Amino acid sequence: MNSGARVALYCAWLALIVAVGWGVARHLKISSDLRDFVPPARSADQKLLLDEIGKGPGSRLLLLAISGAPRARLAELSRGLDDALAHDPGFAHVANGGSDLAEVASDLLPYRYLLSPTLDTHRFDAAYLRAQLQQRVEDLSSPAASLLEPWLRRDPTLETLKLAQLWAPQRQPKLADGVWFSERGEALLVAETRAAGFDPGAQAAAIASLQEHFAALPGAAGAKLAISGPGWFGVEASRNTRAEADRFGAITTVGFVIMLLLAYRSAVPVLVTALPLLSGAVVGFALLALVFGHAHGITVAFGFTLLGVAQEYPLRVFSHRRIGVDTATCVRELWPLLATAIASVCIAYLAFFASGVAGLQQLAVFTIGGLVTAGACTRWLLPRVVPPARRDMAATPGLATAWHFLARLPRPRWLPWLVAVAGCAVVVLAPGGFWQNDLSALTPIPTAELQRDARLRAALGAPDVRYLLVLRAKDAQGVLALSERVAPRLRKLVADHAVDGFELPSRYLPSVATQRARQSRLPDRGDLEASLQQAMQDLPFRAGVFAPFVADVEAARTLPPLTPAGFEQSPLGTRLESMLVRQGDGWVGLGALSGVNDPAAFAQLSRDTHGAAHLLDLKASTESLVVAYRHRILVALGVAALLLCAAVTLALRSPRRALHVLGPMTLATLLVLVVLRGAGIPLSLFHLVSLTLAAGLGLHYALFFERRTGDEREDLRTLHATLVCVASALLVFGVLALSSVPVLRAIGLTVALGVAFHFTLSVLMAPAAHLRALDGSLPDSSARAESGTGPDPASPNPAPKRGA
Amino acid sequence: MRVWHSVAVLIVSLLPGAAMAATPTQTMAESLLAALAKTPPVSTPFVQVSYRGVLARPLIVSGTLQWLGGDRMQRDIDKPFNETARIGDGELSVQRGGGEVHRMPLARAPQAGAMLAGFRALLGGDVAALQQDFTLTADGGTAHWVITLTPHTESLKRQLASIVIDGRDNEPRCLTVSDANGDSSITLVGAMAEQGLRSAAPLESALAARCRNPK
Repeated sequence: MNSGARVALYCAWLALIVAVGWGVARHLKISSDLRDFVPPARSADQKLLLDEIGKGPGSRLLLLAISGAPRARLAELSRGLDDALAHDPGFAHVANGGSDLAEVASDLLPYRYLLSPTLDTHRFDAAYLRAQLQQRVEDLSSPAASLLEPWLRRDPTLETLKLAQLWAPQRQPKLADGVWFSERGEALLVAETRAAGFDPGAQAAAIASLQEHFAALPGAAGAKLAISGPGWFGVEASRNTRAEADRFGAITTVGFVIMLLLAYRSAVPVLVTALPLLSGAVVGFALLALVFGHAHGITVAFGFTLLGVAQEYPLRVFSHRRIGVDTATCVRELWPLLATAIASVCIAYLAFFASGVAGLQQLAVFTIGGLVTAGACTRWLLPRVVPPARRDMAATPGLATAWHFLARLPRPRWLPWLVAVAGCAVVVLAPGGFWQNDLSALTPIPTAELQRDARLRAALGAPDVRYLLVLRAKDAQGVLALSERVAPRLRKLVADHAVDGFELPSRYLPSVATQRARQSRLPDRGDLEASLQQAMQDLPFRAGVFAPFVADVEAARTLPPLTPAGFEQSPLGTRLESMLVRQGDGWVGLGALSGVNDPAAFAQLSRDTHGAAHLLDLKASTESLVVAYRHRILVALGVAALLLCAAVTLALRSPRRALHVLGPMTLATLLVLVVLRGAGIPLSLFHLVSLTLAAGLGLHYALFFERRTGDEREDLRTLHATLVCVASALLVFGVLALSSVPVLRAIGLTVALGVAFHFTLSVLMAPAAHLRALDGSLPDSSARAESGTGPDPASPNPAPKRGA
Repeated sequence: MRVWHSVAVLIVSLLPGAAMAATPTQTMAESLLAALAKTPPVSTPFVQVSYRGVLARPLIVSGTLQWLGGDRMQRDIDKPFNETARIGDGELSVQRGGGEVHRMPLARAPQAGAMLAGFRALLGGDVAALQQDFTLTADGGTAHWVITLTPHTESLKRQLASIVIDGRDNEPRCLTVSDANGDSSITLVGAMAEQGLRSAAPLESALAARCRNPK
């Protein structure tokens, strides 16, 4: 093949990758729906968690603080932002303390006697009305008189204001210039996104639009907008992680290129090595698009990590090329081993496919498709685009010395057993939790941000993100009735400081039964007029001024009670909508709690309602899902390990040889666990996936070291290939291990440690006989043999050199 | 009362066409400085008569008004009931008879805002702040002068027609707040408040005439 054809094929290959990649990027939807990734919910609360994950009132709230300007301007900015967000379809609700709830309540004016609790304890008789009117006289000389006056004729008992007070946040920040201000003089707002709290894409869009609104406000230039809340943290965490990954990616790419240039003294590997991996990735994505139509973000992250194994395929080829021998021939010689590695790993990943969890199936499809493609590209495409070899890597200076050094290392037979026993002991006995169930621990929020969140949350009385009060009944009215029943219990819990505040669905809408009871206590027109006349005696009100009131009460007596559907038409409808949801064939009420100080205090409430009303700890429920998910992964990995053992044994057609391959892999994995456990690091899912990647790499090392070529130069090439692979893996993952982002550090540290252990053990546990084969036969080894440490007690005599 | 002296000095600064404008600039500036050196709180008795559409007769309350400096003031009613209203930081809080404290933003209680605006004009001399919301006009002479505050922002105009302050010599006498809906209230302060009302249900016109009466 001439060089023109090679370049053309190379360009065509590259173009194909770009084209398929572009097509896939257009069609594949990356979802962040956790339901794909967790096993089917077992308990009703898990199901609720999955249905409503991130939809709870607390998790959709963004807390905003504007600072850095004089108070009057901050108030202006707060009003401007409030107005902008109120018209933004991405936000369901926004509050800055400036909105007039009385205006909101006026939408429901006809229903006020059904919604307000006044009639539960009072009747509109002469005595009550007189006391009320007496107070209205006093109100009229108050500085707030004009606030009252528009309502007075229709609503002398001020039910509208009572509703406004009922619906106002229970704990409000102090008002200044008509809007909320913190103790530190920041203007405060709360904005509720329509998007779920744990939908990073939608949250990022909402936050971006919020920041745009703010920047567009006049006078916003000098002021600072601080955002807090679950959505913000998610967006920040992924931004930080991506920024750090990009930074490290750039460093390692440069390092990788330099290393390839040093190792191969040629630019060809630099240009070509990435192609099989990239081909694998785009084919993997294309399969996901074809089979599933979408992929979960975690699939993409985990899949890419696992696909890292394919990086080794072209490197092996480059190390094994010989002068004067067609690259295709070299690849063909290597292929049985590479194919064994690929096939074993793919068979192992079939276990993921059988797991029954959509996310894991996606992972299996992506990884298997990617690895097979990368392997096939290496086997059939790569040889056609690279020019013939001009160097034999076996001649690399120092390589023979390195081989000699490795061959001379002591290999006591008892060492693996000692490592195994001691390792198991450390893993089992080391103190500290074995598993990290708190996924957020991997993308922690900076302490300063956490403190600010706690401060703003307390100032705004915003609901707790962790706890929800769950109310279950068979219909919406049942939930509302239950909500009314537990309200006094919760007030008691507030008084006992078990919880700082609560918000129940019945706060907005009483049950139909309650509304009817109130309706039945409304007097008829004759009674009301008589009582009113009696009440007005000696008071300065004009006669007949309350005629609209009498008419409204009369109308309210026959009004059909307000239903959830009716209430949801009102401006406060979204509040109720998020608190009252259908689940399966029942209904669930979600009560927001703020400042849960004593979760155990809710146990009695739960017992008394036979579990119909109970505290849901979102953190515990999420963790229980993580545990279930990890259980699935562990089972899948266990099956995968068994399949791998079977596949390797079958491919090598010898249990003994298989042991030489699988032994180092197992021990090295154990050693990584030992280090992690010894360092007190609890294991997360990311550690597990990283361990799997390291094991995949280790399989290559062990397979190639176990290979009997009988050709010393070929063995040197194997060493060269392995050293390049190990060095590149250590470079990429070692740098990642230095990251300040725990999730990147977890991946980096685990894989780097794994690669180091897998390599060391593959060398130390390789069949001693054929490692020794070279010893003494290499030009520079004889001098060393004399000054060396002497024969290894485990294998006293160098094995005879194997003939070709 | 030194307070009213300083008030007068401020009023002078608002009355360029008035007789007192003849006072030498030097003296005026000195007095103004002296006025600014006065540290709040300053207080005066008051009698407020409210005329409301829903009421057949005027509503009368009396007590003490205090300006605590800046945008903070307090109004204590002791007849015919007890009520304390505080204004500060853009918020109005009202507590009646030792009961619950009701808070609301000042923006929603324009009468309270108007009352504060009037007192800031009289006592604080923060003319620049006032001019953000009101157009100021002054008329009359030492025997009777009038300062009128007319809102020029849309939100205030919806609620408030005008604030008129009547005074004589160094002393303000009445603060008349007219709402946009036709309701009004007249607050007598200082010596006028001490004199009290001459009738249990004074006519608005009669009371207004008394405020304007130079005698």
